[in-house]
Amino acid sequence: MAAKSKKKRVSKSESLQTAEIQAAIDYGIDVSMLISNIGRSCTERIIRHQIALNTAEKLRKARRL
Amino acid sequence: VSSDFLNLLERLVNAGVDFVVIGGFAGVVHGCTYVTQDIDICCDFSPATLLALQRAISDLHSVHRMTPKRKKLQLTEKTCGQFKNLYLDTDIGQLDCLSFIDGLGNYSQVKGKSELIEVEKMKVRVLSLDALIKAKKSMNRPRDKEAVLQLEAIKKLKSSQQDL
Repeated sequence: MAAKSKKKRVSKSESLQTAEIQAAIDYGIDVSMLISNIGRSCTERIIRHQIALNTAEKLRKARRL
Repeated sequence: VSSDFLNLLERLVNAGVDFVVIGGFAGVVHGCTYVTQDIDICCDFSPATLLALQRAISDLHSVHRMTPKRKKLQLTEKTCGQFKNLYLDTDIGQLDCLSFIDGLGNYSQVKGKSELIEVEKMKVRVLSLDALIKAKKSMNRPRDKEAVLQLEAIKKLKSSQQDL
């Protein structure tokens, strides 16, 4: 039973390492950030995007001292 | 003034504009991690829809941002028929409105490939993950390469989670 459970866990983990995931990793995409985002609601994703965009806009307008 | 995409969406919904969120912002809704500086929608380009859209953003100094002198948005029932796309800049962000998407079709076809989501008690239509991947692939633009990779990874991760 324990062996069967372990085997099941391994296959679930391996199922994440598909061609699509590997292609994203190879391109330099942080897949852990995608996984975190999937766990969020649409509203949370939009709000976090807005925070990032506003920060980027502030940095773009910043002047050199 | 900072951009505020939620405010833009809220204005469109409250004005009764029938639309689908497409493009990079639809990717954000599905879970992409990049930052996009505009919001793209697909909508019916009937005079009624375009005039409702104009009313929704009438106090935001909206201009056609692709015209040389950034012409003010001043649609009338007669001039609405001249446009297939609107590329607007407003006080709270850029808003691109398309009547047709390569690889998907016109508004009613796009709407058929959308899903309804709830954002802060608003119901908003967003292009489905599969349709977004198809649209991005059909445009075949180098700048969309990362978006397509993220979207395909998200699709896989979501299906893997459903299997667990």
